[in-house]
Amino acid sequence: METGIAKAGTKPEAEDLNDPAYLKIRDVIYQISGIYQPEEKLYLLASRCARRMSVVKAKTPAEYLEHLTMRGNRDAELRLLLNEITIGETYMFRSPAQLEALRNVVLPRVLEAKKAMGFKRLHLWSAGCSTGEEAYTLAMFLLEESKKLLAGWSFDILATDLNDDSLAAAKAGIYGEYALRSTTGLLRQKYFNPHDEKRLQASDQLKSLVRFDRVNLNDDSRMTFLKGMDLVFCCNVLIYFDLNSKRKVVQHFYNNLLSGGYLFLGHAESLYQVDERFRLVHFPGVIGYWKPPLGYGGGGKS
Amino acid sequence: MSSLEKVRPTIEALEELPTVPAIVLPLTALLQQPPEQVDLDKVVELVSCDTTIAAQCLRMANSPLFGRKNTETVRCAILALGMKRIGAILMGCCLNQIVPPDKWVLDPVTFWRHCLGCALVSRRMAKLMGYPDPEKAYLAGLLHDLGILVNTIACPQEYRRCIQMARDERAPLDRSEEIHLGFTHCQSGRILGERWKFSADLITVIEFHHAPGLASGATPLAPLVHLSDLLCRLRNLGHGNYEALGVDLPGECAWAMLVEHYPALARMDLARLTMDIDGAMEEITTVVDTVFKPLPTGAP
Repeated sequence: METGIAKAGTKPEAEDLNDPAYLKIRDVIYQISGIYQPEEKLYLLASRCARRMSVVKAKTPAEYLEHLTMRGNRDAELRLLLNEITIGETYMFRSPAQLEALRNVVLPRVLEAKKAMGFKRLHLWSAGCSTGEEAYTLAMFLLEESKKLLAGWSFDILATDLNDDSLAAAKAGIYGEYALRSTTGLLRQKYFNPHDEKRLQASDQLKSLVRFDRVNLNDDSRMTFLKGMDLVFCCNVLIYFDLNSKRKVVQHFYNNLLSGGYLFLGHAESLYQVDERFRLVHFPGVIGYWKPPLGYGGGGKS
Repeated sequence: MSSLEKVRPTIEALEELPTVPAIVLPLTALLQQPPEQVDLDKVVELVSCDTTIAAQCLRMANSPLFGRKNTETVRCAILALGMKRIGAILMGCCLNQIVPPDKWVLDPVTFWRHCLGCALVSRRMAKLMGYPDPEKAYLAGLLHDLGILVNTIACPQEYRRCIQMARDERAPLDRSEEIHLGFTHCQSGRILGERWKFSADLITVIEFHHAPGLASGATPLAPLVHLSDLLCRLRNLGHGNYEALGVDLPGECAWAMLVEHYPALARMDLARLTMDIDGAMEEITTVVDTVFKPLPTGAP
């Protein structure tokens, strides 16, 4: 799931945005969930707050801030606000910059390191895969690269979620125009079959690359055995976890990744103060977290 | 002989090395003052001495970004835009005028977006890490790529090939400059900075922003601008070509150079800084587009 905050609705009045409570709400959200909004985009946050404010009958942003920080149901309210922030933005090929980075920087590095060790298979994990859009996007991307960058390589994708309904939908692989809006005609033709008048279904070839499974990211015993990953994708899932759970899950991701592997989060998410072992790496238009090999000290490059 | 001295005769022999526009030196002095100490009358005077620049300021002040209409005087425009923006607009406009419109090889709008982006990020990082002169960091960020203007004016044909190679190979510009020109914009920029009598700090930034580890002396500005430049190139504020980069900023030599004197840098929330840069994109784009896109016929 990806955050929809960048596409949120209407611009509240300019004078409302000057209310310092919005900055405080922004900071509370960042501190608790790791989702950040720059000052210039506060109007998007304000429009998402406005919906919740009308539900809880908060008259001012300051009053709503109280709902998020002081009232007994503050955890539930924060969760509802996060739902507003991340609503409805799950679709395939949501992040072209991420795929470009995979193609041009990340995969060449990972492949080189694995090749040196004699491996020719890649393992990807979409953690918190919801209805499967991200996993199928990765599958299409890898298939398209299979005669170029990935010639001679095999790959598999593990896609996990806690929600049985989401997993059932993901396994069925039936998608409408909304989910497919950034998928080109050529890719639709290659990897989907008509399902009904308005929807397409993922082909068997696409489905064969993705293994869907029910996994609770908080379940230590399951998490311990998902080793050997090269790339982990976990978009807008950790935002719902408290700090301790977040740290524990990220620790599992770290342990389950091979040295030199990468973790990608949602585009407004950060691991600041959650983890210090991953290295934040900037790629054009996207950031990722890298598990450095043992003994990597950083420094020295000019 | 240092590599600069090897290429100096080549660069100095280039025809058409630009002379310093009249307002650049007073402007660099102005830009290094805290905005609240700047003498408004002096700014009005500077802006008014060039009709094109005055028109650009009025146009900017009347743009939807500032929500103002009918700003008719230069003084009102300056007040509407704020001193920090005026400085960048002025510097951009007057440097822009040294390149004839038909000689631009890079898109000027892309180029100025990068410079303004780098200026803003340099100032932001300077404040976060506790560098005492953020305005100087801003100016250094704004001017670090001066050499690109030199190369554009002095050898446009060869420069076109350089830029094409950087695009084709998804490589940084300075690498393809070395191959095609035998010198980089860092070196040509330094020579112009010397001619224009810029301060030693600024000249060091211009020469070493791609290799701050080679800079002698202890100015933190070169490593600071190096990191800001990298960040901008990684956040869609580069020179318009895709660079296949994966950068661990704290792994950069520049980072280590800064952290030694500014330990607050090590605690900086880099993900947040990155998202702030993305947030500032809209304003950067609007400012630069409004100032540098050609004026429609009949506009003031």
